[in-house]
Amino acid sequence: MNRSTVVAVCGKGGVGKTTLAALLARLLREDGKRRVLVVDADPAVGLGMALRIFPPRTVNDVRKEIISAVREHAADQVDLAASVDYKMMEILEEQGNLAFLSVGRPEEEGCYCQLNTLLREAIESLSSHFDLTLIDAEAGVEQVNRRVMRSVSHLLLVSDVTAKGLRVAESIREVAEEAVDYRKLGLVVNRVRDPAEARRVAESTSLPLLGFLPEDETVREMDASAGNFLEIPSCPALEAARECLIESGFLPS
Amino acid sequence: MGLFEEPLKGIRQYLEEKRSLGKAREFHFTPVLPRASSPQVILSEDTGLELGSPGTASRSLLLWDDTEAVADGRITLVGPDFPEIGAGKAPLAQVVMVGGRFSDEYDCYRDLREATYNLGLRGFMTRVFPGRQSVWCRVSREAMQRGFNAQILGSALIQAVKRLDFVDAAEVLLVTSSREEIEELSPAADLVQEIVEALIKMYEEMNFDCDTCEYVEVCDSVVELRRIRDRLQAERGGGEADPG
Repeated sequence: MNRSTVVAVCGKGGVGKTTLAALLARLLREDGKRRVLVVDADPAVGLGMALRIFPPRTVNDVRKEIISAVREHAADQVDLAASVDYKMMEILEEQGNLAFLSVGRPEEEGCYCQLNTLLREAIESLSSHFDLTLIDAEAGVEQVNRRVMRSVSHLLLVSDVTAKGLRVAESIREVAEEAVDYRKLGLVVNRVRDPAEARRVAESTSLPLLGFLPEDETVREMDASAGNFLEIPSCPALEAARECLIESGFLPS
Repeated sequence: MGLFEEPLKGIRQYLEEKRSLGKAREFHFTPVLPRASSPQVILSEDTGLELGSPGTASRSLLLWDDTEAVADGRITLVGPDFPEIGAGKAPLAQVVMVGGRFSDEYDCYRDLREATYNLGLRGFMTRVFPGRQSVWCRVSREAMQRGFNAQILGSALIQAVKRLDFVDAAEVLLVTSSREEIEELSPAADLVQEIVEALIKMYEEMNFDCDTCEYVEVCDSVVELRRIRDRLQAERGGGEADPG
């Protein structure tokens, strides 16, 4: 059975995970050949901001709506599953070949294991109908550890040049080896100033290197002005991200 | 006396009225080839026609009746056929009427719903929100170019339910004309919703305290529901079966 391609961008907070996810989304939008599901799974919801996509409702809102609906109308498993599928489709924000889904901030209010399972399965089912799913994951190892990313096929670990960032990336790999059935894993190092720094980082990690993203004034300006990364012009960081996609086989060389 | 006797009366009257006004067209079942195994996703940019989408009038009803009362294989369309609508959005009501042998009402109803929720048609996406009785469909541009129409959708629905061994006959009504003509189905739809919710509650909750149940009036007014309730009470030791 063919597994769909699910790319998760993971790393320590503040290393540029969301920036890389936004650049990848921009490149996949430009390419236009694949149907891409973009999932903002970080409770900080930074990817939506970077892509200027502000979904009025999130997966967590769907969860609350369904809990409330079940209180008003009797529903069984068949109806619940159908309702979740309907609402997942309803909250997708589409832009051409991209469809954007925001997970939102989870607010625990009692145990809804059955519903949480249905929601996770609905996202996985939705994802299986796209050529590629790109997930901007929560910072750190917790989301990987909770096995919420069990269907991930490609782990894109992001770090800056600091030892802390690289250490977190290595911790994520250790956790992922237990919890995620991934096919490929690669490290992207962000905000690299020069080739000497790239060499130093390469020598200090055992993670397989996928690419280096340079410090980039265009990216800084985009971040500062809350610009739309789907419209970011060609710049060194974008071209480095393109190389990562080509290297991974997601864009033609 | 069937579970959906009252709402079915309303739907039959609706059909009669539309026929007498010359607003109903009829097609007959023709076998269709299902291709997809799970619900498909069709994005807006690939959509040729959208039916019953959020914000547009939408109804989805599933009822059963005596086999003799169901015109097996008949598809009635009120409103323009899909190719006549062309690109864009249109309202949709989808009513599936089934005849058969329903030995366990709830299991049968669950199987029927599952069968209609995913038709597995190539280039056709359907999502159902049972709490609102809404159905939302997208037909791909490619499927529209291949000639996807009401007869194909109606046939796929009939084929899906007739795959179940307890189903002997199936009939479909599709309405694409206007919000007003879909809202004319509301009295029947509201009754269906109440009956279905009472049925689900009865089977899912195993609670037969009629004094505290919000569906007691529905059960009391629908003879068949009362019979099911009494049978379940007897089976689960919740009280004496009331033959009345």
